[in-house]
Amino acid sequence: MKKMLLIVLAGMLAVSLLVGQAHAQIRIGLMAPLTGSWASEGQAMRQIVDLLAEEVNNAGGVLGQQVQIIAEDDAGDPRTAALAAQRLSTRGIVAVIGTYGSSITEASQNIFDENRIVQVATGSTAIRLSEKGLRYFFRTSPRDDEQGLVAANTLKDMGFGTVAILHDNTTYARGLADEARALLVEGDVEIVFFDALTPGERDYSAILSQLRARNPEVVLFTGYFPEAGLLLRQRHAMGWDVPFVGGDATNNPDLVSIAGREAAEGFMFLSPPVPQDLDSPEATAFMAAYRARFNDDPASVWAVLAGDAFNVIVAAIEGSGSTEPDKIAEFLRTGLEDFQGLTGTIAFDDKGDRIGELYRVYRVDGEGRFILQP
Amino acid sequence: MQLFLEQLTNGLAVGGIYALIALGYTMVYGVLKLINFAHGDLFTIGAFFGLTLLLSLGLTSHIGPVAGIIVLVLMVMGLVALIGALLERVAYRPLRTSPRLSAVVSALGASIFFQNAIMLIYGARFRVYPHDLLPTTTVSLLGVSIPVMRIVLFGASLVMMAGLYYFVQRTKTGTAIRAAAIDQGAAKLMGIDVNRVIMYVFLIGPALGGAAGVMVGMYYGQINFTMGWVYGLKAFTAAILGGIGNIPGAMLGGLLLGVIEAMGATYISLAWKDAISFMVLILILIFRPTGLLGERVADKV
Repeated sequence: MKKMLLIVLAGMLAVSLLVGQAHAQIRIGLMAPLTGSWASEGQAMRQIVDLLAEEVNNAGGVLGQQVQIIAEDDAGDPRTAALAAQRLSTRGIVAVIGTYGSSITEASQNIFDENRIVQVATGSTAIRLSEKGLRYFFRTSPRDDEQGLVAANTLKDMGFGTVAILHDNTTYARGLADEARALLVEGDVEIVFFDALTPGERDYSAILSQLRARNPEVVLFTGYFPEAGLLLRQRHAMGWDVPFVGGDATNNPDLVSIAGREAAEGFMFLSPPVPQDLDSPEATAFMAAYRARFNDDPASVWAVLAGDAFNVIVAAIEGSGSTEPDKIAEFLRTGLEDFQGLTGTIAFDDKGDRIGELYRVYRVDGEGRFILQP
Repeated sequence: MQLFLEQLTNGLAVGGIYALIALGYTMVYGVLKLINFAHGDLFTIGAFFGLTLLLSLGLTSHIGPVAGIIVLVLMVMGLVALIGALLERVAYRPLRTSPRLSAVVSALGASIFFQNAIMLIYGARFRVYPHDLLPTTTVSLLGVSIPVMRIVLFGASLVMMAGLYYFVQRTKTGTAIRAAAIDQGAAKLMGIDVNRVIMYVFLIGPALGGAAGVMVGMYYGQINFTMGWVYGLKAFTAAILGGIGNIPGAMLGGLLLGVIEAMGATYISLAWKDAISFMVLILILIFRPTGLLGERVADKV
């Protein structure tokens, strides 16, 4: 009986191996915060990547092979991310998309690099990620120094003389806050407050009271949308009407539902443009497909940048005609010129950073919509 | 001076919530010597139940805002109490004679289970309570403007804490709870149904935690499935600060922790706020190892 079972099992194994061979697939990894406090971002990333992969497969795949997405959850946590990267590295992927959050990406970078897997990060803007000289690292998101520059210029153009800067001590928010501070000080703007809040809490009135005591003309908050929403809401409840400017991590419609339309009105933030605001054929086609599937607009630009990461990986595999990591990386670095992505044109420099000015200024109107400023 | 008073009210408002949640930790610890790590998630469940009931029943439009909110809080307290009792029955009672570590692991498992269950049922995105639920009037007191709702919430948590204190000190069931906390075996010999006492503890603690959840949801508006973690950790700290197992200690610890946080953030450093709170905790534990109001319990030989 036992022998029978063994033979059957061995047979099944053989068949499955054969089937596996017959349907050769190109495996692309997706590392995303599918659980944890940024789970909404991660799940949106997965939806978009799955949607695009399905389109590619329906159109005949890449190099005649079907694309398979292997998703791993990094829970928005560096330790889990290192484990997720290790698991992904053993699963025969040629490239990996992800992830959201600079400190999370940082935990995975070396693992992918050692395993010779091309990594295209999507929501990781800290400067040092691409300064390490890793050969296989790219990102579709812009860098904090570019954002810091746009932030500083915007604040200076609006004529603010005293600025309060609030961050949340994450790699991203701290980096952006430092960049903006340096540039503002150079431009003779006085920084009256520079400190961090603890993300994940509900009551920030102690911080707001303290900010108000310093009497800034504008507050630059470089953290993420849940805290930004609460800050706006509680600032409104205090009856304090200082303008708030946010970084790109506040680009999420949930910001308005958390703050309430009245409190969110007038909030300005910097962000790469979402496809809704672009009229390129790629963005339009993507929006149509997305709306048809999910009956909604994509929630955040970071999920769309994951879609861009998928698109450039596919383009590089096709363009180099190979799934060799060295050839893919080489193609991304030199072969990709003016690639039409979902968020505008994409090309990478030597370090793997996206070339070109990407940041725009958005303002929240009375209806809670994000309006692209001219 | 104005900043100081403003921060005092900010600290007390947060501290009142910490205190309500801390009561759940302290009661369970008092009777079972178990840290119920799932307690923070019961708080989250309270916030989500509150939202569901609010949206599906439309209470505030049927019977007026004040009565509606009171009924809502009571309903949530009842539902979360049931989940608390169920949690005890499923995750803790079978392990009561096992080594204490098993129950702790079970508590951690329950916490992860609750968190994921909430995420799968309600989704990972932030959910938001209706914005016009509470009036936004403020009163001016000594030059500090305080939202009326904050005073109401603080008052509500004080009333609940006072009610619990009365219940534990003055009623027969309360006496049984205290007896079981001192010595379960002896309490059994005196004819106290210890299982029943533990069930009461797991009804009351979660009910208060659930109430804190709805209150946070209504006042701050934004809830999500991970919110129990930060509040749970802070409330657990508050319980230890006051002397874990001691009910007035949990209340004092909660309020104190809220005020320390607000003051530390204002006068020392915002980014170091939590580090300061924990430093105070460590200092207090060095000089009073049982917490502020905790009594030294003689070790059983």
